[in-house]
Amino acid sequence: MKRPEPFEVFQPVSIPEACELFRKHGPGGHFLAGGTDLVIAIKEKGLVPRYVVDLKKIPSLTGIREASDGSLTIGALTTMREIETAPLIRRKYPFLAQSAAEVGSIQIRNRATIGGNMANATPSADVAPALLILDARVKISRSDGEKIVLLEEFFIGPGKTIIQQGDVLTEILIPPTPPDFCGEYIKFSPREMMDLAYVGVAVGVVAEGARKRCRDARIALCAVSPTPIRTRKAEETSNECKPISDVRSSAAYRKEMVRVNTRRALLNAAAGYVDNLSWTARRDRRYS
Amino acid sequence: MEELAVVGKSVTRIDAEEKVTGQTVYGYDLVLPGMLYGKALFSTRPHAIIKRINTEKAKNYPGVHAVITGADAPWIHGETIKDTPFLAQGKVRYVGEPIAAVAAVDEDTAQAAVALIEVEYEDLPAYFSPEEASKPGARAIHEDYPKYHKADFIVTSPLPNVCEHFKLRTGDVEQGLRKSDLVLEQRYRVPAIQHAAMEPHSAHAMVDDSGKLTVWVPNDAPFRVRTETAEALGLPPEKIRYINPYQGGGFGSKGGLKVERIAIALAYHTKGRPVRVKFNRQETFVSTSTRHGAIVRIKSGVKSDGTLVAREITIYWDAGAYSEKSATVCIRGSLPSPGPYRIPHVKVDGYAVYTNKPVAGAFRGYGIPQAAWACEQHMDDLAKRLHMDPLEFRLKNIFVDGDITYWGEELHNVGLKETLLRATEAIGWGKTEKLDPKGFKIGKGFACISKPTRTPTTSNASVLVDGQGKVTILAGTVEIGQGCSTMLSQVAAEELGVPIENTRMHPLDTDVIPFDSSTTSSRSTFHMGNAVRHAAIHAREQLAQMASGILQAPEEHLRFSDGKVFLKKDPHHAITLGEVIRTQLGPDGVVRGNGSYTYELGKDVDPQTGHSDHASAFYMYATQAAEVAVDEETGRVRLLRVVAAHDVGKAINPLNCVAQVEGGLAMGIGAALHEELVVDNQGRVRNPSFLDYHLVTSLDVPEMKTIIVECPAPDGPYGAKGLGEPGLAPTPAAIGNAVANALGIRIYDLPLTPERVYWAIQAATD
Ligand SMILES: Cc1cc2nc3c(=O)[nH]c(=O)nc-3n(C[C@H](O)[C@H](O)[C@H](O)COP(=O)(O)OP(=O)(O)OC[C@H]3O[C@@H](n4cnc5c(N)ncnc54)[C@H](O)[C@@H]3O)c2cc1C
Repeated sequence: MKRPEPFEVFQPVSIPEACELFRKHGPGGHFLAGGTDLVIAIKEKGLVPRYVVDLKKIPSLTGIREASDGSLTIGALTTMREIETAPLIRRKYPFLAQSAAEVGSIQIRNRATIGGNMANATPSADVAPALLILDARVKISRSDGEKIVLLEEFFIGPGKTIIQQGDVLTEILIPPTPPDFCGEYIKFSPREMMDLAYVGVAVGVVAEGARKRCRDARIALCAVSPTPIRTRKAEETSNECKPISDVRSSAAYRKEMVRVNTRRALLNAAAGYVDNLSWTARRDRRYS
Repeated sequence: MEELAVVGKSVTRIDAEEKVTGQTVYGYDLVLPGMLYGKALFSTRPHAIIKRINTEKAKNYPGVHAVITGADAPWIHGETIKDTPFLAQGKVRYVGEPIAAVAAVDEDTAQAAVALIEVEYEDLPAYFSPEEASKPGARAIHEDYPKYHKADFIVTSPLPNVCEHFKLRTGDVEQGLRKSDLVLEQRYRVPAIQHAAMEPHSAHAMVDDSGKLTVWVPNDAPFRVRTETAEALGLPPEKIRYINPYQGGGFGSKGGLKVERIAIALAYHTKGRPVRVKFNRQETFVSTSTRHGAIVRIKSGVKSDGTLVAREITIYWDAGAYSEKSATVCIRGSLPSPGPYRIPHVKVDGYAVYTNKPVAGAFRGYGIPQAAWACEQHMDDLAKRLHMDPLEFRLKNIFVDGDITYWGEELHNVGLKETLLRATEAIGWGKTEKLDPKGFKIGKGFACISKPTRTPTTSNASVLVDGQGKVTILAGTVEIGQGCSTMLSQVAAEELGVPIENTRMHPLDTDVIPFDSSTTSSRSTFHMGNAVRHAAIHAREQLAQMASGILQAPEEHLRFSDGKVFLKKDPHHAITLGEVIRTQLGPDGVVRGNGSYTYELGKDVDPQTGHSDHASAFYMYATQAAEVAVDEETGRVRLLRVVAAHDVGKAINPLNCVAQVEGGLAMGIGAALHEELVVDNQGRVRNPSFLDYHLVTSLDVPEMKTIIVECPAPDGPYGAKGLGEPGLAPTPAAIGNAVANALGIRIYDLPLTPERVYWAIQAATD
């Protein structure tokens, strides 16, 4: 552990004020949301910020809203615990609630934000695959305006996104999904909780009619390539991912687990939602 | 015997409220007036000569009070082999070895100054496997090993890097194997794991103007570490004082001189100011101690009717860079390694071998879990080849009362069979209730152990009763979270007939408290329980004598209960203990009872044959059983149920016994399924954090059933044996047997991670 250099902390109350701080103070600034990645980076990974801009005083960054067309807007500061427990998310997209429930522990989820999970862009970000199969977009604000990009184009490498210094990720936008859309998230890790994914698989299927003909299937993965990915050539998921070997597991095993868990997730999604399952009961479905 | 009032009852722990409300001050929390903060520089090389150390920049850094290297602390310590420098002496032997240290006004300053120390190394070839390191021709990691001061029971070896060679020779193994109908040879491996106590290591030290050294440290053996310190520094023990604050878990890691020696070395250079050295989690993982990784070769011969004839075992204990407790782990772990079975021909060779890895030391179970992982799975495989039920096979061979063991001791009070029968019954051994659900294989398994305790050892205690009728217990047993203070309070309360609320434990301070060997080896209930019992009885006798005058009745007609002494026949004729003392000794009078207990019987273990007619004051017996569901497609082992049956002699506090077993099971499950301290080919620990070193969480622990078996030990207090360690000892083997039972595949290496199990399944189906 290095000696932490002193740095200044700002607490803007609006997005323009936040952007302005970066313009004024120049390089070396970092946004702070829940701090569950940033504080660890400072304390244990040698990150030395010149200044930190805390976003938590900006009211417009919070909340989950549904529009009349069924699209959802999730404020970047929304915590994992809120996503896990929000009735709206649990009803519409239980697998998204599930993916948030898979993050760390309750204590972590009370602080960790969805914006932080995306902006931090670790390959194993648990919520990313669920958002990827929902075709989610992110809204980015900067001093000269706003832009909306597909989440798929947002990640560019481990810990790297298209965000530039001083850009604020303000919202996650989820477009309406077809009425029969059904998803599933399986986090595969050796421990039941408090673990990083060896493999995370989100799938979404649109099954039509009584015979459940599958009209659309979407698959996204985390922890098996430099960024969370949407696997467009769905039938070739094992070839599209490029896992690495590390102290947790070998690349070869991760590939096998992509195959097994993708199949399980697809079967679960095709079977449809079971109402009001506890998250631990829901995650037990990954074994069947 | 009269009915017991508090012993045998599940009284609430006396430290519970203080702990759950966060009031307890642990060693790590301690703040001393005027203290400085110490940090160490650790080796980045597994094996190298230190060519040069430059501390100039660190010394000139503002806020720094002292910068020291091995030259400033030229001391060597070691419990049984004096091989460990306080700070590296011209050479480093593992990545993480302390080389230099800084004391400064705060921890950040100390850390910043440490970063300015420059070290130039000349690398030497390094060994990371005990088999490699002990091959003839391997280079010595300790060139001066032959010259080191060693305890007289150490057995050296012509093989390189062996710091202890344990030998057990009984009968004629060659002949036994020849006479057998079936011979099976296997090789099992267990990786190093870490204790991961919730509280990391810390120590505070100060040298005052008179030259007296005081160390505040949560250490599990304050008197032993005082001796070790005295021997290293060349001081008389009375010049050293160890004060023991509350300890946040230890599991064996907090004995000997670890962080202590850095604090002590700095304290000699800070002119009377105390120095605190706290290890962070990473330093605790790498630079304190680990459980021995082990390689176990086991070969057995059996008759076709299932009678064990011969067993030959070779164990390589990976000692890491320094001997620490390796010699005694090697002796006490290898001795019972053939298992709790009657075997006429036995040969065991245990080698504790130096490697260039983090130092291995004491770990709850002291070598039993490693050997059990091999032996108990080997037993199941033998049964399979004999087409015999593993339970029947064990029942045919296990230790029962009156058996003479392969180390030459006649056994008594053996509760093993009862644990075996009850654990297997509880798991439903032999019954298949459920069909395998799709994609899963269900299996059951069990494993037995017997564990000795360090023998002979001594405990002393005093019990003070004051004019308010309050009882103070002076005992050197360390409350490491195991509940000893509650147990000892129960014992004192029982003998003096006072409510447990009227008792308290005196803080542990070697200048005040009478000598105790250690809080290790599951010995405290037995030894200190006896010492406190004797002390309380001694106090009671004095009180009875005084009360007999007041109550005008002979002592033998008196009874003690509820804080009062009264006539057995006329309970209304009573007087409180406080009144007895006030009347006889005045308002400030104190009655002091003293007690002592040493178990010393028979001969020590013979270094050439491993024989002893009394190797242990008592033996702890246990059988654990597990039911698992293995996800065949992923290799993930899901534990469905675990059952643990333990012979404790007498449960002084049944709830606390269950808690000990459950805590042990959680640790054993971690060792079975997740834990491994990964050291790479440059000697670096790759997972020194809870991110990648996986302890179990509450969700990973299934339904647990604890069965307390009470087969009393006549010498134990109220019949009690011990229970601190065995809770985790058979767990991995029981789970391993359940996995093998589920899959029909034997896996020889721990831990049973999904990936390891997955590839084993693939290999078997290819
Ligand atoms: C013990 C523990 C367990 C964990 N387990 C998991 C797990 O199981 N799965 C998982 O996916 N993650 C896990 N994490 C990681 C972490 O909790 C998540 O990534 C979390 O979502 C990060 O959010 P945060 O609000 O804490 O981010 P912060 O730490 O505040 O920020 C992270 C990064 O994003 C930037 N940032 C944050 N918000 C914005 C914004 N609105 N606009 C622009 N930039 C922004 C910050 O500048 C910083 O660089 C774990 C962390 C810990 C400490």
